Amino acid sequence: MKDTKTEIRFFSVPQWKKEEQYLRDRHNDGWEFTGVGFPGVYHFRKCEPKDVVYQLDYNEDSVRSRDEYIQMFSDCGWEYIQNYVGYSYFRKPVSEMKVSEEAIFCDDASRLEMIKRVFEGRMVPLLLVFFMVIIPQIFMQAEEGSSGGRGVLILFIVLFALYLAIFISFAVPFIKYYRSVHRD
Amino acid sequence: MDGHIRKVYVPMTETGFYILLCLRKEAHGYGIVKKTEELTGGEILLSPGTLYGSLSKMEKDGLIRFVREEEKRKVYVITELGLQVLELEMKRIRRLYCSMMEATEDERY
Repeated sequence: MKDTKTEIRFFSVPQWKKEEQYLRDRHNDGWEFTGVGFPGVYHFRKCEPKDVVYQLDYNEDSVRSRDEYIQMFSDCGWEYIQNYVGYSYFRKPVSEMKVSEEAIFCDDASRLEMIKRVFEGRMVPLLLVFFMVIIPQIFMQAEEGSSGGRGVLILFIVLFALYLAIFISFAVPFIKYYRSVHRD
Repeated sequence: MDGHIRKVYVPMTETGFYILLCLRKEAHGYGIVKKTEELTGGEILLSPGTLYGSLSKMEKDGLIRFVREEEKRKVYVITELGLQVLELEMKRIRRLYCSMMEATEDERY
């Protein structure tokens, strides 16, 4: 029997809670996560089934001060797996935890800070393109009115719709998560 | 101390409070985790993501400063501004404690 496998799963940027649960479920089934390669491609290695908590952090320091960053997590018993497009993956077996359901964040203030970092890292660049390129282009092309311009205009309108769909798919889980953190 | 610092740090999170309390002596992140565990009889276990974020923010705001690096661990110590903030927080907590004791005095005896 093969002792490695690959699964394809897509999680949008604000769905890291789902991704953590997915990796924990796999480990419980006896498949240890070894890394993400191409977007959505998850690699696993066969292992003893075990309850292991997976956690994702989003922090620029994971690249800028990589060694100190990883060291602090490893001091606290969190094994670093990899960094993938800004997200750092950590895990810790439940059997090694001092309190039940240990996590890499222990208060709401820091959970909200993490949401803010994801927002700034991922949404702000998209918003800039949206307001500084796509919207001005639609107005410029609409004013020109030539037939060549119409093709470009349609292209930008399609991009406009695509961006809008991305924003909504980002915003809804963000707001939900933000509220869930604020409530408890 | 400017208004921004006062607004952000008074009152502060438990994590923030334990960081400043511990950093009256030089320490690295994990040292703060250990010290806090000791002080609270294991009741408060600081998490690395929370601690890392708080230390970066406090360093940026000038409440603590980087001293040196020890085997990939950054050692920090509290600054004059950090001490002022800690003093304000201690005063607030002392007041809370006194009010609590006074208000529940009858129930205790």
